[in-house]
Amino acid sequence: MKKVAKNKFSQLWNSINKDYELFLPIEKDGKVNFSLWKDEDKINLDAIKTNVSPKNIIFPQSETYLKFKTDGKKLSLENVGGKKEEYVLFGVRPCDAVSFNLIDNVFLREPIDRFYEERRNKGTVVSMACLEPEETCFCSSFGIEPETAPKGVDVFTWDIGQTILWEAQTEKGNILTEKLGDIFEEVTEQDINELEKLKHSIKDKVSSLPLSDVDPKKIDGDLKDIFESEVWDEISKSCLGCGSCTYVCPTCHCYDIQDFDGGKCGERFRCWDSCMFSDFTRMAHGNPRTSQKERFRQRFMHKLVYYPNNHQVYACVGCGRCIEKCPVNMNIVKVIKKLGGEK
Amino acid sequence: MEKITVKVRETARQAFSSGEVDKILGFAKGDFWQDSYPIFITNENEVDSLIWDSFCINNLSKYLIKELKNTQKIGVFLKGCDSLAFNQLLQDNRIEADRVVIYGVPCVGMIDAEKVKKEGLNKGLLEVKRSGDEISFVTKDGDKNVSGRQFDYDKCLECNHPNPVVYKELMRDEVSREVNKEERFKDVEEIEAMSAEERFSYWSQQFSKCIRCNACRNICPACSCETCVFDNAAAGVSDKAKVDSEDQFFHIIRAYHVAGRCVNCGECSRVCPAGIPLHKLNHKIIKDINELYGEYEAGLDPSKGAPLVTYKLEDIDPFEGHKGGK
Amino acid sequence: MSCRCNNRVDPLVPEVAVIKNIRVDTNDVTTFTVEKPEGRKCFESMPGQCAMISVPPIGEALFSITSSPTEKNFMEFSIKRCGAVTEYLHGLEVGAEIGIRGPYGNNFPVEDELKGKDLLFIGGGIGLAPLRSVINYVMDNRDNYGQVDIVYGARTSGDLVHTKDIFENWPSRPNTNVHLTVDREEEGWDGHVGFVPSYIKELGFDTNKVALICGPPIMIKFVLQGLEEIGFKKEQVYTTLELKMKCGVGKCGRCNIGDKYVCKDGPVFRCDEIQELPDEY
Repeated sequence: MKKVAKNKFSQLWNSINKDYELFLPIEKDGKVNFSLWKDEDKINLDAIKTNVSPKNIIFPQSETYLKFKTDGKKLSLENVGGKKEEYVLFGVRPCDAVSFNLIDNVFLREPIDRFYEERRNKGTVVSMACLEPEETCFCSSFGIEPETAPKGVDVFTWDIGQTILWEAQTEKGNILTEKLGDIFEEVTEQDINELEKLKHSIKDKVSSLPLSDVDPKKIDGDLKDIFESEVWDEISKSCLGCGSCTYVCPTCHCYDIQDFDGGKCGERFRCWDSCMFSDFTRMAHGNPRTSQKERFRQRFMHKLVYYPNNHQVYACVGCGRCIEKCPVNMNIVKVIKKLGGEK
Repeated sequence: MEKITVKVRETARQAFSSGEVDKILGFAKGDFWQDSYPIFITNENEVDSLIWDSFCINNLSKYLIKELKNTQKIGVFLKGCDSLAFNQLLQDNRIEADRVVIYGVPCVGMIDAEKVKKEGLNKGLLEVKRSGDEISFVTKDGDKNVSGRQFDYDKCLECNHPNPVVYKELMRDEVSREVNKEERFKDVEEIEAMSAEERFSYWSQQFSKCIRCNACRNICPACSCETCVFDNAAAGVSDKAKVDSEDQFFHIIRAYHVAGRCVNCGECSRVCPAGIPLHKLNHKIIKDINELYGEYEAGLDPSKGAPLVTYKLEDIDPFEGHKGGK
Repeated sequence: MSCRCNNRVDPLVPEVAVIKNIRVDTNDVTTFTVEKPEGRKCFESMPGQCAMISVPPIGEALFSITSSPTEKNFMEFSIKRCGAVTEYLHGLEVGAEIGIRGPYGNNFPVEDELKGKDLLFIGGGIGLAPLRSVINYVMDNRDNYGQVDIVYGARTSGDLVHTKDIFENWPSRPNTNVHLTVDREEEGWDGHVGFVPSYIKELGFDTNKVALICGPPIMIKFVLQGLEEIGFKKEQVYTTLELKMKCGVGKCGRCNIGDKYVCKDGPVFRCDEIQELPDEY
């Protein structure tokens, strides 16, 4: 473990930026989002949740992967996908870091999505513990402990006041640590004590959060019984079918593939899509999900039943963004509670 | 319990027992102080879930189109801005007036949870009570009382219609607020004062934040097409590519599609997860319509012809009189 | 057996292929023969699997491979015109280049549960296309399978596809019977008239067979009902499901029914497996 003084942050960013692209939580117009760092940017490492999740760094909202040209009957295709530059993603909260693993489960199983794989391999994830979890946070319901490093992060950090403690977790983390060289100082006994106190304080705060009793395991029973439950009719009523929840959610990963017509040439790209949209499953022969109730049910069945069936873990990290962003105050907590038997 | 909640429940109870309605659209309270969410109840036993407070921001008229398809008579609680949307839906021929019973709720303004959080007043907050402009934040460690409208949504501060313009009965006394007609289009004038380059730069920057979630479209009462042109693959405009031109195209087209029917409720900006001030676009179009065709407020009087769908011989010829973009 | 595409390249990236032959079968179905530009089969597959055909800039769509893998030199696709991609394909000429990637999906268990059994193929309209890959595989390995009965119907005789196979090729094979039907009386047709589900009842099959059904969902539903009435169990019946698919590899999240993805865990399903799925289709 090492430490770096917070007043040396500017030097830290520049140092990282020598060898890597650097993504930090940047504040613009009152909203904090991960974006590529530029010197004059206003960095905000205190905001617990970024406005939109950092998933667009590993899974861009829109990604061209194929360029094509037609010439009479001939067709030529060029593979242009993936990411060439190494990068550091600094300041990811444990919930968002776990969401990367959840998306890995889908994209990195056979056949492996090479563009995503390259993007993940080129990235070093530096995660930060959450000092002040918010009332809309419920990561503990999914086994996430925001005071400890989740599996898969390359470096974990804790803010203990004037300095942050820095601990590499993987080989990539070690490489980054070495590259940064002597910006680090040695950790003292006092620092370790501070850290323990901090960890306990975070644990206490998490257990007294209003949503700490949300328990997805209460949703049990046969898949088809949950599917046919009368609960869906009632809770889907107010859903407007916009895609806010899916787009701010760190674990949603549905995508569409479209061609951009440039005349004799063009691009094929994949872009985020939402199962909440009315045309998501519409095909030439019809649409299996014609009403919002069916689409609403699909999203939550996927996160709480289907994905766990296939991957043995829930596809939610309890970040609480859907609680804050849904225009009609619907969210996964309400669904979990209703499906779990609450009246 | 607040007086208004008591009145809302009484009204609902009476409506069901008299058979006046088959379904009522109202609000219920969730787990959090700011969580007042739309509910749809169908019998007297559910009436006690209804509440009314300073977080009942949603426009329930939006649900009428879908709900009227499978329910004969619906009762709905509407604020001033909501009632304008109701009239607009009537004018658009999307709903039938005699199948809806409106319980009007005069409104002094709704509280923006973000503004409360910014002041740090959300720590341990249990409930927010409001009487006129006297606001009480009830927390685990005692109450904090504040006077004034600093926590109201920006759009509520510019509200022209605190009282419903159409209703069967009112839930409380009408609210009187000073409406500053002169300052109405201040936000539009600020942008009009910019040069063309500055304006383009401003809007390019704003639209670049767009994540194409469609929240603005789906919350808008004027956007009621069964199949939106952007969801229609056959229309050829549904590109979801995250490029500036596509993002700008979506918003500009949407602003023109609702032109003349936008009731200025400001919901589009409220729900935008990226914080884009979309209502300014619509506000500009309202200003232009006022200048071109005379003062007009969508949703105020459904019997009056709407300027963009009514032809009058004396209509101004914009290419002569208006001389293009200002 | 699932996608065996080039392991280093992303599964979404197609390769260039060329249309070697075009045969118009009906007024909305055309069969395309596809090869690599240098003249070999694009990739190996098993009966029932599908491929994504790209016609940039219109898009991509998933089609079942109608030729059997025992055909060494090329692949065939019988495509019905019903949307933007298919419309564009129907306008192409021989020699046109397209994109192709695959194979996707699972296959009919020709090397497992079907071996040694009597087989009953039931197809409706364009549904014969995926079945044909199995039938020809069976014909080319005839000794591995028992009696073959093929029941195939279409709206009119003009809608019957693969006429060479159904009228000449298959009826001439050992221990193979072809039963054709059209929905309504029609001048010049002296074969059976009636819907496929009722024809099956008339034919009175014994239940010691494996049945494979492909066709419009409504036909599958009634055929399955009819088969169960005469004693078939759901475990003896296979069919294919079809949903809107984009990636073809179980990642874009679009084609799931319950926790199964039609592009990856299907499109071939046994009917008892379908019963386990939620009623979303």
